[in-house]
Amino acid sequence: MSAEPLVADHAHDVSDHGHDPHATTTGLSHTKLAMWVFLGSECLLFGGLISTYLLYKTRGNGRTLPTDVFDIPFTSVSSFVLLMSSLTMVLALSAVSRGEDEAGRTWLLATALLGGIFVGGQVYEFTSFVREGVAFTTNPASSAFFTLTGFHGVHVSLGIVMLMSLFVASVKGKLTQRNAETVEIVGLYWHFVDIVWIFIFTVIYLIPAD
Amino acid sequence: MAITEKTPLELGPGDTARYAERPLGVFTRPQEGRGWRDWLSTVDHKRIGILYGASAMFFFLVGGVEALLIRLQLAAPEGSVLGADVYNQVYTMHGVTMVFLFIMPLAAAFANYFIPLQIGARDVAFPRLNALSYWIWLSGAIFLNTSWIVGGGGADCGWFCYSTNSGVAFSPSHGVDFYAIGLQILGIASLVSSVNLIVTCLNMRAPGMTLMRMPVLTWMLLITQFLLLFALPVITVALFLLMFDRLFDAQFFNPDAGADPLLWQHLFWIFGHPEVYIIILPAFGVVSEIIPTFSRKPLFGYEFMVFSGIAIGFMGWGVWAHHMFVSGMGPISVAAFSLSTMFIAVPTGVKVLNWLATMWGGKLRFTVAMKFAVATVAMFTIGGLSGVTHSVAPADTQQTDTYYIVAHFHYVIFGGGVLGLFAGLYFWWPKVWGHFLNERLGNWNFWIMLVGFNLTFGPMHILGLQGMSRRIDTYARGYGFEFWNMAATVGSLLIAVSVLIFMWNVVKSKRDAPHLPPPGPDPWDARSLEWSIPSPVPTHNFDTVPQVHGRDEWWHSKYAENDEGQVVRVATTEEAAQTGEATGVHLPSPSFWPLAVAVGLPLIGYGLIFNLWLALVGALLTIASLYSWAMEPVDDPDAAHDHHEEHHEAGDAEPDDEGDQP
Amino acid sequence: MRTSRPLNRVLAWVLLLFVAAIATGCASDAELDTFAPQGPIARELHSRGVLPVFWIAAVVFVGITVAMVWLIWRHRVSSYEGDDQWPAQTHGHVPLEVGWTVGFLVTMAAVAVLMLWSLPTVDATEANTMEVAVDGHSVTWEPTVVVVGNQWWWEFRYYFSDQVDLADLRAHGDAKTLPPADIVTSGQMMIPTGEEIELIITSRDVIHSFWIPALNGKRDAVPNRFSPWKIEASDPGFYFGQCTEFCGLSHSRMRMQTVALSPADFQAWVDDTTQDATEPTDPAALAGLEVFSGICTSCHVIEGVNDDVFERADQASGAAPNLTHFANRSTFAGAIFNTYNADGSLNRVQLEAWLRNPGDLKANYTVPGEQYRGMPDLDLSEQQIDDLVAYLSGLGARPADWIIEASQVE
Repeated sequence: MSAEPLVADHAHDVSDHGHDPHATTTGLSHTKLAMWVFLGSECLLFGGLISTYLLYKTRGNGRTLPTDVFDIPFTSVSSFVLLMSSLTMVLALSAVSRGEDEAGRTWLLATALLGGIFVGGQVYEFTSFVREGVAFTTNPASSAFFTLTGFHGVHVSLGIVMLMSLFVASVKGKLTQRNAETVEIVGLYWHFVDIVWIFIFTVIYLIPAD
Repeated sequence: MAITEKTPLELGPGDTARYAERPLGVFTRPQEGRGWRDWLSTVDHKRIGILYGASAMFFFLVGGVEALLIRLQLAAPEGSVLGADVYNQVYTMHGVTMVFLFIMPLAAAFANYFIPLQIGARDVAFPRLNALSYWIWLSGAIFLNTSWIVGGGGADCGWFCYSTNSGVAFSPSHGVDFYAIGLQILGIASLVSSVNLIVTCLNMRAPGMTLMRMPVLTWMLLITQFLLLFALPVITVALFLLMFDRLFDAQFFNPDAGADPLLWQHLFWIFGHPEVYIIILPAFGVVSEIIPTFSRKPLFGYEFMVFSGIAIGFMGWGVWAHHMFVSGMGPISVAAFSLSTMFIAVPTGVKVLNWLATMWGGKLRFTVAMKFAVATVAMFTIGGLSGVTHSVAPADTQQTDTYYIVAHFHYVIFGGGVLGLFAGLYFWWPKVWGHFLNERLGNWNFWIMLVGFNLTFGPMHILGLQGMSRRIDTYARGYGFEFWNMAATVGSLLIAVSVLIFMWNVVKSKRDAPHLPPPGPDPWDARSLEWSIPSPVPTHNFDTVPQVHGRDEWWHSKYAENDEGQVVRVATTEEAAQTGEATGVHLPSPSFWPLAVAVGLPLIGYGLIFNLWLALVGALLTIASLYSWAMEPVDDPDAAHDHHEEHHEAGDAEPDDEGDQP
Repeated sequence: MRTSRPLNRVLAWVLLLFVAAIATGCASDAELDTFAPQGPIARELHSRGVLPVFWIAAVVFVGITVAMVWLIWRHRVSSYEGDDQWPAQTHGHVPLEVGWTVGFLVTMAAVAVLMLWSLPTVDATEANTMEVAVDGHSVTWEPTVVVVGNQWWWEFRYYFSDQVDLADLRAHGDAKTLPPADIVTSGQMMIPTGEEIELIITSRDVIHSFWIPALNGKRDAVPNRFSPWKIEASDPGFYFGQCTEFCGLSHSRMRMQTVALSPADFQAWVDDTTQDATEPTDPAALAGLEVFSGICTSCHVIEGVNDDVFERADQASGAAPNLTHFANRSTFAGAIFNTYNADGSLNRVQLEAWLRNPGDLKANYTVPGEQYRGMPDLDLSEQQIDDLVAYLSGLGARPADWIIEASQVE
């Protein structure tokens, strides 16, 4: 088993040594299943925010719209950076589950770094938008834009915190091949946040406002 | 954040408990005991269930007092008991309290207590997250109600809190801020709880407990958790937008800047309509357990019952805009949502007929639980049918926002939901507490509640069709509203009496319990696994985890059918039931961190409203507690293991050697 | 108490109550009764949309309830004590269950047909026109009234000279700066009988809902939205309404009436109300005009007095009732008080009380420094109140006796 479950079913009898005490009904560990279930909920959270933006994207109240100040080349680069972080995340998991702790740490750090670059890019983007007259309170479109992308940025930042926690755990020798599943679970979250960004980038940045 | 719950590990045979020696952070790791502190740190799903239930009943009284105030104000024309401003706050908080602080947590009490028991598990998947859900819920509930004291009054925008009336200009007190933040806190609690219970249901079933063998209560609760999982993020978005508008001058609901007030309505009802099924499905589950037991027959058409529940769960997502037939959203949407609303009546109707078919040919024994269950079916039928009458969108233009709707949804939520959960209370009380609720008082409770309920809400059908608007704090003489309003007020007082009788029953039955024979594991000769273990349930639930061979596993271990198809007893309850005397079952250790995390959240809420520094304090408390939690193993650390990962590895390798050996 | 109580008696009682509910709903003569349609739209809505589905629901209800009562009566036992005979263990019956699934599907399909059949009743508009004389010119008017909700009163705007339709107003967008109308009135909407009146409904502050039960269902007034609706009255009459979407403090005191007039009476009303306000002559009324010009003009308009300088009322909605023809309306203050007593005399008591402190009679929000919602206490002296009453009671022609009589709700 490449990923020893961190969490086992305790609904079994102590004397019941006959079968694997960690077996769960579905075979997935509780934590991994919980992450999947949680991400299902997150889909609707972002769905709600994206719908709000789409409803409001042309409602400028006579002032500058977010679509007027988009810098597509810049955001394309930062989107690419975020996508690459999914690759490094995969490499991190692969390394940790092969027991290559050193390489695992490198890729974890790389993932966090790429995520950090993305968030930094977002901070830069936000400040330049504000300079160009699109602030949070400018119009419904800008409120919806900053809320959606800000929410996504917070998700990326939380992911970075998780990655750094894994990194620290690994440095302390607490993250080994045995609990590679923790990396896998954080990875699930990370890929989800990436996929959401693909949606946001396509729907919000690339499809022009009419 | 991925909070990984570590496995509770096994003790060697003969060990019953294990205590921490080492302080963790600022707290000494709490230990199992009997004092009140134990309730603060418990991670036992049964105790958490009881906490949910007790708190829900407390807020039932709060919401009930609010209901009585409403009825007193409306008893006669030109009522002046409350005045417009306070009336608006009271009716808003009545709705919010009854939905979020009474029915949902009471259903959560059943879910927490009985899902693990019905699927043959020893706890939920994440015991500490379970405690966290409860404490967050409680902190949100308290936060919401402190609005009366520090927020300049309760929210005054109705539980639906439509934009633009919810804006600062139209609702200047902090009530709506408390609403927006309080419901977000409650939402976190329900979200955590739904993830936990879904994983429990999917992953912790006893051997042989396939999905299609799960008791219907567990099925309905599982569907409810999925509805919560997907509905809560939508209202969270809506509440976020509202909060940003009110506190940070965002423009989401400012029509002067071009915003559309209907955005709120769509988001709210995409949550709000599944919410109706979140309220009613647990009661359906309860009824589906009680009617077979007291008909001495299995549930008629288990598959139809399960699939109609699933169908309701799915279709519940496609009907939200029937709350908006008169909003001006356009005839196409109106027609589409009108059609979808009609067809959700089909699975619901199937359920009603299947309950009747369960009773058909049975031997109906009308205990109080059975009376409540049958009344649930009868009253829900009325609520469902009045719902059909205004699923016809043109007819709804006459009925929406009148008392006809108030009557309709109280027949669904009170007649279906509350009566159903009361049935559950009478049914499972002996399982939880080890003594019966008094049947005599229970009968008084039932009849007075049923009559009071119908006297309160029956006349509201008439009032609505006579044109009485909802949410009005007063009405003029001469519109023909006087008589039935007075009748409704009298009815509401009867409901209050019946609730007091219930409270008295709780006290009296506890007092009388020592003088009465104990109920034993299976007092009703029932069908599902929770009746195979002693009452009250021992901490470890099952001595040995049952092997499940079919539906109604417990009943089949008592009875079988002979060649002529007649039921013969194959074992007495005493022979078949577990004794609860197992040792060596290890359970997760208690923890204070869930409580600490939950205390931080309302501080963030107060901070957002009054002073951002306070929010910072709350955030720090929450983050520090989460971090300490992550560092705290689900099990007590013992002297042999300094790090929980090591501890964990050892546990994985050799479960039985784990722990403090005596 | 034994468990063998007759549950069926209670169920029968519930059934009776339900039947009584419907019966009383039909028989009542309450002013807002939804079961008493007074125009072709409401009648068709009632007969196609409401009644059939009530009958279907009633039949299903009776069927299920009778079945349940019978089951209870037939199968109840008082105890399982000493009874080890179990009934036949039926686990289900698929054809039967499929049968009633299909049965419900068919029933609901029937309801769906009813819905689709009755939907155009409330939604589709016809292009009817009538001739109206305005300032001596005859105008072909497609009867339309723009309905604007405000906290807590309704404004009704009539456009004869420059007619507007839904598309125009949607293009215009802002309900706070609507194009000038020929008639702006509040609380009471006058309509001609026998004509389908198209309503264009919007709001200046929060969501309200316009509802005259006798003439049609309701439609929300949503800020930043213009929604179509329609009403029609067969006969001259006085039809009550009540705001039905919660709109804050005085939601319960936001009422309205529709007065249907014969085409000739309607023309007479148009003739009156398109005029500027009556010039006062007697000293008290002149003094009242003085008070009005000094105090009331920050919110109210009287055409011929301050309409040329007025921009925006000092209210969250930016508007307050137009008082040009105050005395022409049989109700005031959000259509909650009668302007005239039953004997036809001016309702001086209520009018004076209103001017003394509106907040006592109708909840409002008038905290200094914040946006006002509702009429504030103007701290008027008794003399000023008397003068204002003298002035206001002379504005516009007194409504017909039958209107004054019909406004009395008792």
